[in-house]
Amino acid sequence: MGHSHEDQATDESWKVCIRMRYLEFAVASNFSFLRGASHPEELMVQAVHVGLGGLGLCDRNSVAGVVRAHLAKRERNLPLRYHPGARLVFADGTPDILAYPRNRAGWGRLTRLLTLGNLRTEKGACTLYLEDLLAHAFGLELIAMSGNASLLARLREIAPHRVRLAASMLYRGRDRARLIRLKDHARTAGVPLITVNDVLYHHPDRRPLADVLTCIREKTTIDRAGRKLAINAERHLKPPEEMMRLFRDAPEAVEETLALSDELSFSLDELRYEYPDEQVNGFDNAQDALAHFTYEGAARRYPQGIPDKERANLEHELQLIAQLQYAPYFLTVYDIVNFARSKNILCQGRGSAANSAVCFCLGVTEVDPERADLLFERFISPERREPPDIDIDFEHERREEVIQYIYGKYGRERAGIAATVISYRGRSAIREVGKAFGLSEDTIGALSSSIWGGAGGSVSKDAVTRTGLDPQSRRMRQILSLAQEINGFPRHLSQHVGGFVITRSRLDEVIPIGNAAMDERTFVEWDKDDLEALGILKIDVLGLGMLSCLRKALDLVDEHYGERYTLATIEPEEPAVYRMLSRADSLGVFQVESRAQMTMLPRLAPRNFYDLVIEVAIVRPGPIQGDMVHPYLRRRRGQEPVTYPSKALEAVLSKTLGVPLFQEQAMKIAIVAAGFTPSEADRLRRAMATFKRVGTIGTFQRKMIDGMLVNGYEREFAERCFQQIEGFGEYGFPESHAASFALLVYASAWLKCRYPDVFAAALLNAQPMGFYAQAQIVRDAREHGVEVRPPDVNHSSWDSTLEPGPHAAGRLHTLHHEMRDDIRTTHAVRLGLREIKGLSEKDGKLIVERRSSQISVAYDSMRDVWLRTGLSPCVLERLADADAFGSLGLARREALWAAKALGRVGDRDDDQPLFTSRGNTSARIVSQEPDVRLPPMPIGEEVINDYRFLHLSLRAHPAQFLRTDLDVRGIKQNDSLRRIPSGMRTRISGLVTCRQRPGSANGVVFMTIEDETAVANVIVWPKVFERWRPIVLGARYVTVFGVVQEECGVIHVVADQLEDLTHFLARLADHGADIDGLARCDEVRRPIEEQREARIAGGRHNRLVRLMREIPELAGDLDVSARGSAHAPARRARIS
Amino acid sequence: MLSLWLRRLSTDRIARSRNSSAPLVVTGRRGNAEIFVAVDDAAERLGLSPGIALAQARAMHPGIDTMPEDAEADATLLESVADWCLRYTPLVACDAPDGLLLDISGCAHLYGGERELVADLSGRLENAGFGYSLAVAGTIGAAWAAAHYGKPASHACGEERAILESLPLSALRLQTVTVAGLARVGLKQIGDIIDLPRAPLTARFGSDVLRQLDRALGHEHEPLNPRLPVAPYVAEQRFAEPIAREEDVLAITRRLARRLQFALERRGDGARRIELALFRTDGVVRRIATGTSRPLRDPDDIRELFVERLAALADAFDPGFGFDMARLSVVVAEPCPPEQIGIGGSEDASKLCRFVDRLSARLGPRRVHRLVAQDSHIPELAEAVLPAQAVNGDAGWAGFRQYRKETKLPPRPLRLLARPELIEAVAEVPDGPPLRFRWRRALHEVIAAEGPERIEGAWWSEHGGPARDYFRVEDKSGLRFWLFRSGLYRDLAQGAGAPTWFLHGTFA
Repeated sequence: MGHSHEDQATDESWKVCIRMRYLEFAVASNFSFLRGASHPEELMVQAVHVGLGGLGLCDRNSVAGVVRAHLAKRERNLPLRYHPGARLVFADGTPDILAYPRNRAGWGRLTRLLTLGNLRTEKGACTLYLEDLLAHAFGLELIAMSGNASLLARLREIAPHRVRLAASMLYRGRDRARLIRLKDHARTAGVPLITVNDVLYHHPDRRPLADVLTCIREKTTIDRAGRKLAINAERHLKPPEEMMRLFRDAPEAVEETLALSDELSFSLDELRYEYPDEQVNGFDNAQDALAHFTYEGAARRYPQGIPDKERANLEHELQLIAQLQYAPYFLTVYDIVNFARSKNILCQGRGSAANSAVCFCLGVTEVDPERADLLFERFISPERREPPDIDIDFEHERREEVIQYIYGKYGRERAGIAATVISYRGRSAIREVGKAFGLSEDTIGALSSSIWGGAGGSVSKDAVTRTGLDPQSRRMRQILSLAQEINGFPRHLSQHVGGFVITRSRLDEVIPIGNAAMDERTFVEWDKDDLEALGILKIDVLGLGMLSCLRKALDLVDEHYGERYTLATIEPEEPAVYRMLSRADSLGVFQVESRAQMTMLPRLAPRNFYDLVIEVAIVRPGPIQGDMVHPYLRRRRGQEPVTYPSKALEAVLSKTLGVPLFQEQAMKIAIVAAGFTPSEADRLRRAMATFKRVGTIGTFQRKMIDGMLVNGYEREFAERCFQQIEGFGEYGFPESHAASFALLVYASAWLKCRYPDVFAAALLNAQPMGFYAQAQIVRDAREHGVEVRPPDVNHSSWDSTLEPGPHAAGRLHTLHHEMRDDIRTTHAVRLGLREIKGLSEKDGKLIVERRSSQISVAYDSMRDVWLRTGLSPCVLERLADADAFGSLGLARREALWAAKALGRVGDRDDDQPLFTSRGNTSARIVSQEPDVRLPPMPIGEEVINDYRFLHLSLRAHPAQFLRTDLDVRGIKQNDSLRRIPSGMRTRISGLVTCRQRPGSANGVVFMTIEDETAVANVIVWPKVFERWRPIVLGARYVTVFGVVQEECGVIHVVADQLEDLTHFLARLADHGADIDGLARCDEVRRPIEEQREARIAGGRHNRLVRLMREIPELAGDLDVSARGSAHAPARRARIS
Repeated sequence: MLSLWLRRLSTDRIARSRNSSAPLVVTGRRGNAEIFVAVDDAAERLGLSPGIALAQARAMHPGIDTMPEDAEADATLLESVADWCLRYTPLVACDAPDGLLLDISGCAHLYGGERELVADLSGRLENAGFGYSLAVAGTIGAAWAAAHYGKPASHACGEERAILESLPLSALRLQTVTVAGLARVGLKQIGDIIDLPRAPLTARFGSDVLRQLDRALGHEHEPLNPRLPVAPYVAEQRFAEPIAREEDVLAITRRLARRLQFALERRGDGARRIELALFRTDGVVRRIATGTSRPLRDPDDIRELFVERLAALADAFDPGFGFDMARLSVVVAEPCPPEQIGIGGSEDASKLCRFVDRLSARLGPRRVHRLVAQDSHIPELAEAVLPAQAVNGDAGWAGFRQYRKETKLPPRPLRLLARPELIEAVAEVPDGPPLRFRWRRALHEVIAAEGPERIEGAWWSEHGGPARDYFRVEDKSGLRFWLFRSGLYRDLAQGAGAPTWFLHGTFA
């Protein structure tokens, strides 16, 4: 970085000059899945290292890796030529042909050719025939990897002077003789010979990994693969001198690589994005249309007239949009949102551009820029020329309608979904490598399940020992190191959850399109980082469970309470809502329901909307790793004065009391304090995400910290800022997203506060989503005074519904007595048939439909249900198991007995052709059975069965039946914790509902257990965990012996001893030991694929440990932000 | 009826041949998982039981001994116990996998009564080191239930109801689904269903439930299936006049083989091991056995084998006063596809097989070998030496040749040296062929060379070795050699030793 720009240029051209003796054109990266054994970035760096003049990347029928190599060159300023291309592999026996586009038109042909091959087959495959190439060869330079005279002649005919024949020297015994023959052959065919090394990896040390990939591909083991493995390790990047030595008999073939390179002028930078033309009916151009719609919307938003400040904002934004010609993009977003609104699909935009005044007026977002006090920087920076950022969240259940609308409007040639690169991570890495080494399935299972959350996603030595293997053995060491090496290798492409690429011209001339696994979906080969890096615009059409939940809830409020609310009209800024949240009473509330958030809520005690914005953003890897949480909390409580590092930063940090919390602020600091240009700041951010794999980010670190020191900032502050940017790298949380989310936090909290019945029913109906399972949602609703009634064939719909019921306010659990005046609930929740395990939606809806439509009377017997629905007795047994025949007076066993009797020959009337009855069929009883007196089911067994078939019990908690035994052992009820002073020892027990071990928490396990009285939070430190591992992982019901800790009303028990009492449950009923009350956030049952390698090192490590000792749950959210789409936080998150 | 349950059959079998007293479990593969199929008493005391996954249990108890299951050995052991039980009654039935049923009615008095018989049996089982549980009752069902569900004792006829009432329904030997279904409606013990109306029960759970109940209660008869001897392929001939000449023995062998041929053909089997038993008039039995390299049933082929065997025995073939009976048995049979006649290839193959069989019969099967192609790049691992009779078909060389041809790799010598021999060579750096080399003290000047063919070592194996560059070279006198440089100059940087040269074979 020390060179001036001029120095660098001369330096570079000189280097290129001496290097320009050989370029490697046959290079496969690991995007040639299970063949290439190096990342594109590694290949680029190594190419420079060995002194190649350039590199052409050609993966098998794919260009999925070319952008990464392109970026490697661009970001690191690598002195070599780079040519993107593809290796065409044919289905008709034609030898492989490398294709390199000469120019933009050639690129279009290549991508169309690949698209043709992709769409011909199902997902992941590409079927090409020679004919296809002949029809698309325009603008392509071709290298035949081998081939007879007739093939070369045909190629030469359609692409004169653009065909070459490849020659390689790969140490196969007769290389020189072969080379002489090839020379003859090429001369006869009239095509030049060109040197290639058919590269599969950047360095010969990758041979073991390449062999393992072969085993995975061929589904065999390393010991059995034999000749399927490569005979030697020669297919790596070799220096020009070496290539010239190998080809001393044909130096012209080496020189031909330069000649070819000179023909190729195409660069990926040419794929400039073109916005689609939007319908501008009645307007001169898109800008006019946008202005019109904006002011139309503004008139709606401000019926009293647009305030001056807002008008000025709008003017300014519209002017900027005009200047950058982004109007069509805004119109596209507007159109999609309008479509959703016309179909009554709830949606909300987020992202910096989404929270502009224009978008507020267009109705893209409900976040009033005024209310959120947003936008310390304007929403688009003209100098960055980055495409505007708008993600739109839709109800997750109805997003497909929106997707199909987009396909329908733009056509498949112009719209496609971005790809997601599915990579080998932690578990899948050890699984595949283990298989290749012939480990048995259960050993692999044991090894891979030992990977929990973080720890770099690798198997620890202890885990190996525990499976009975020796971690020091040569073989095990190889397995572990190869699993580490394959970590991060792309495995296949999948469709992104909702990133849409829309273009004006043909999309397939920009990127190859392929079929997705889902019907009716097509996706492009590049992921969102690739697209963004090339400046290709995408619109994120995401599904959000909470929006489904909110729509259902608003509909229920309308139906049962006669009040029609929208997201915009929910009563704003009600103190009752903030009071509730400050008590950490947030189960089910969007974004703030995790254990970490629940710990933070009482500390932060949000009082207004902007506090919620902060709440959403603060429990994130960025602020936590940057050690920003504590200073903020101290300043907020007035324990520390609010100071600013400098006057310049006061403007940036004033809203967050001088502590940077948002991604925008971190970037702004780099610009304001360290003198980065905006585009440098952006590159810094991207470097964190994209360039972990290869190079270091050390240069950025130096530049930033040095820059800040020069400008007079303290080193410690500078380092923390940099660490925060590191944390933001992949999971940064911008203020603009936090604001959109905060709106949903408020809306859901408002519903929970005012109408807990509605909220619970809507949550249940929107499952699966969020952190909790049905059992926890129902428990919470009941604690808020809501009566919950069991599912029943005569009362339930498929979804949970509301029935007139008692006033909830009078039935509150003591925990929530403060809410007596806030709750408006006057209905009970009737659980829907959807809660019954194993009942299909089709069958469930049939029961409801036949009950209400056909005869419109309630079912009067099991036979009646059976005859009217025609469901198989098996289905009715499921209903009986779930005890859904209560309204017929049938207990669980009786119902089962009755259901078992169905389906005998002659029972149904149409089985009796001889005695067809024309009477009232449903009421007719075929034969009178003797009565059978079944033993009544003990209540404990009923509860166990409720859990087994309904996931929850409304009767009692299993712990209740164990209480006598628990008392004998001196085990206290969980609600006693609130009366035990902090620091005392106690012994509690409960059904395990959740276990989390965030990677960043150094192996601390957070367990949540519940008994009949309350939920308790347990912390298990790593030493204790190792000692009691089988219990932590295996027990369904545990006793915990430990020390009580209390802070800000949040209570934990720090465990030092655990005991498995699962066998107590088995005493209640046969399958008692099998039940579980696990929440959705449990990581043992529902492992999170490791998304992010832990990058904790050095001093930060210690600070983090200290912080976590105080607020252990924070660590939870370091990983939580990486979880599934329902809580996908930010545009940078890789959502699988 | 006496039901005997050898509850630790597998572990007892293994315990007989081991010294350790560490907890022992037997594991087997079920689906994709390795689970416990049997545990011994010590393991049970640790809380282990069949059905637990091996990996899971290892995590908790690293010290346990595990053995793979061997169902065949268990069955054999059970059979032998069954045979041994013939001392009590001729009616012994195997109650697979780990029990026996003895019909002792009318036999007990020989031991002085049921009690005494049971005492005798128990004593012997204990001495033999078996864990067991047994019960006597009027019906098979009741005895079985009592033996397996913890009322091991002797019960008089007619007490079945009392025995059964408090036992779980699974004691009726019902399918597990049925038992589970009954449990779900609250019917868990046999007593729960004894007095229930029969029709509704049958309607819901099938007729099996009540049939098993009736059998156990003695309302319905349950037949016992005593063990039958396994029918092997056996043909025998008695002679009025004893025979003694070798020709006669061979002739009779052929005749017996002809009879076996029909039986074998009917079942589509062929013989892999045949035994000829010659019964001498003085009671001595001579047994001559021979193996075959492929399933065989042609009488002439079989005769030929015995020609060689008898020739090899020569002296030991001592007819004495002659044989009065001959028995030819197929000891091991294997499915043998119907033979096609008249296609040259298969005839050649069968000629080779015949040749191998004859050589093996004369020289001994361990002395006749074939080279079999193996799937490896590394030359000495690419072939294996196996007893010729164990090799079927073309020994894999077709695939080898196909591979070399497709990948255009140069030919290799027909035979390799037993192990590569170190030579001194002068060669071009880094990857040139040797210019001259000294092998077994003779100096060879290289005039022509082809190569290198670079073969990397097996990195995953302990004995992988370094990479090799193979060359085909010809010296001045026209001798052609296959030699290689072991180790690459490229690896010198990583601390490898300097390359050395080896000679690995010669071309004819």
